[in-house]
Amino acid sequence: MENEKSAGITHQRSCGRRAFLRFSAAVAAASGVLLSAPVHAQEVIKFGAPLPITGPLAPEALKQQQGYDLWAKQVNQAGGISVGGKKMKVEIVYTDYQSNTPRAVQATERLITQDQVQFVFAPFGSGAAKAASTVAERYGVPMIAATASSSQVYDQGYKFLFGTFTPNDTLTNPLADIIRQKAPDVKRVAILARNDLFPLAIAQEMEKSAKDRGLEVVFFEKYAINTLDHSAALAQLKATNPQWIFATGYTNDLVLMRKQMADQRIEAPVVTMIAAPAYQEFIDAAGKGAENISSAAWWHPAVRYKGTDIFGATENYVRLFKEAYKADPDYAHASASVSGALFQMAIERAGSIDRQKVRDALASLNVMTFWGPVRFGPTGQITSLEPPVFQIQGAKPIVVHPAAIRQGDLRLGVK
Amino acid sequence: MFALQVLVNGLVLGCLYACIAAGFSLVWGVLNVINIMHGSFIVLGSYLAWMSYSAIGLSPWTTLLIAAPLFFAVGYLIQRGILNRVIAAPVLVTLTLTFGLDLILNNSMLLAFSADYRKLLLDPPLGTLAFSGLVVPVDRVLAMVLALILTLALYIILRHSRVGRAIIAVRMDRDAALLMGVNIRTIYAVAFGLGAAMAGCAGVLLALIFPISPLSAGAYLGKAFVVCVLGGLGSVPGAVLGGLFLGITESVGAVVFGPEHSVTLSFALLIVFLIFRPHGLLGKKGYE
Repeated sequence: MENEKSAGITHQRSCGRRAFLRFSAAVAAASGVLLSAPVHAQEVIKFGAPLPITGPLAPEALKQQQGYDLWAKQVNQAGGISVGGKKMKVEIVYTDYQSNTPRAVQATERLITQDQVQFVFAPFGSGAAKAASTVAERYGVPMIAATASSSQVYDQGYKFLFGTFTPNDTLTNPLADIIRQKAPDVKRVAILARNDLFPLAIAQEMEKSAKDRGLEVVFFEKYAINTLDHSAALAQLKATNPQWIFATGYTNDLVLMRKQMADQRIEAPVVTMIAAPAYQEFIDAAGKGAENISSAAWWHPAVRYKGTDIFGATENYVRLFKEAYKADPDYAHASASVSGALFQMAIERAGSIDRQKVRDALASLNVMTFWGPVRFGPTGQITSLEPPVFQIQGAKPIVVHPAAIRQGDLRLGVK
Repeated sequence: MFALQVLVNGLVLGCLYACIAAGFSLVWGVLNVINIMHGSFIVLGSYLAWMSYSAIGLSPWTTLLIAAPLFFAVGYLIQRGILNRVIAAPVLVTLTLTFGLDLILNNSMLLAFSADYRKLLLDPPLGTLAFSGLVVPVDRVLAMVLALILTLALYIILRHSRVGRAIIAVRMDRDAALLMGVNIRTIYAVAFGLGAAMAGCAGVLLALIFPISPLSAGAYLGKAFVVCVLGGLGSVPGAVLGGLFLGITESVGAVVFGPEHSVTLSFALLIVFLIFRPHGLLGKKGYE
């Protein structure tokens, strides 16, 4: 027994020695890689993208990834980004932060320090983007957030953070305006919001927009994440007899809620849902229930802009996306793609991949893209977009506002 | 009328919860296996219903007849081939094993079906029933009735068939059952198969009601846990009672405390029961 033990220890020791040798070899190899890294970096520009590839936000990560990949593919097919007369290819390094915000911060730091990326995209959503932007700021790495709309994300005085979503009230104000204009009889608004950062923020913004226009908010309730049943909340909502029902949440919440509204025979002249109706999966899953549901988003495939970015016109972006993924892009895909395209435009203007120069180029950007006109405000958040209001008509999203890209009129009555 | 509507909503929801939990309770109570795969089995049942309906127009009621034997076979084989090897180990080992199997199953579903939410939309839809201001959706009522029938069938199998009595015997005293000539390995496999069949059938019924995605598995599993603890492990009537209790509490609680607290309420109840009545409403002491 003693022998066995001591033999075990010797074995462990020799294992330890071997492990140490292996470790030393690995360190030596790694430092070799590091030494050769600058040579490598001249050929390829690395972009880091921390994404919630697994966990509850996985569907969102997939959209982001498809958007970034499409941009990278286009750039590399065109030979790369022109940096001071030289073409450099792009590579996107993804890390999975498992839908866990603290890990998103670590993942961002690892991308910068270990993977040595030159630029980063922010993690998904307002909360994680705000948390991770601290890391980017500390290392002086330009970061573009493709899915962060809340203005609180940009209020920290950071110089290296930029975002492609306008503040939430740019969605709710046009909605309230068009309802006032097209349905002047609508006075009573009921709001049911998912108790989550963005869905709740936009619901609160809606409450303000409605009150500012003299509408009465007769019901405002929140429901928990992972709610499997909305019947009790809807029974209360029905009792307040609203003319405009405004519900926020993600696809699963809103598909279930729409079904339960029909189950309880809740009807109203106007029903608005954010964010799901911008996604084709909502229209498929809600079926006839999706009809006449209105919504707003930062972008829509129906908008028409003549961009000067790599994708050019909006139609061209939509076509390329359809070819690559056999589906229509939504604003989440497009925002990811335009984030890449904006980095590209800034690098080309700076004529360098120097982080400070690219940051300055981003800050002074004033360009037209397939996403719309892009100009960043002093906080880094985009100020130039006019998000479209749309409505599902005949199982298709139809833009009803702004007038310049209008495809149809707002219809009243959701049964 | 409003109060009655809330109560009816809770009642219907409670029956769906009972249906979600019955198989889970059986497996936990009899085998002492916490089957983390239960939620994924339910989602798989929903996909089966969705695919059968959208591809070949098979109604969910017919799909039930396919789902029951299919899931029974899958469950039987998993228990026979994998879980039986570690069944005598502490509960944490089987828990880890089913957790691992669930990761494989859930991620395979993500690969096969993607994370997009789907919905089984019957054409024409079943609509709603209205009695003097009280509205009840027909699909929920049908799912509720079928869930009760299924749970009753499970109860009858356990109480009145030879194999059912053997399952109960194993649950009460494994060693004594072994001495009486009960083939424990087969009984374990049958019990797990029945649990899987209940999950699959629940999935088929829930496809009519909830959006379908592999991501829903966790929410179903969470509900199953709460219902089991409320009702008592291994007891089929306990699962029904626990489900009803949870459904009504959530519905009434959403009105009293606000809908954002209904999920918190169900887990608060779980904690209260774990402290003061760990064997649940109908469970026997010693099986918790």
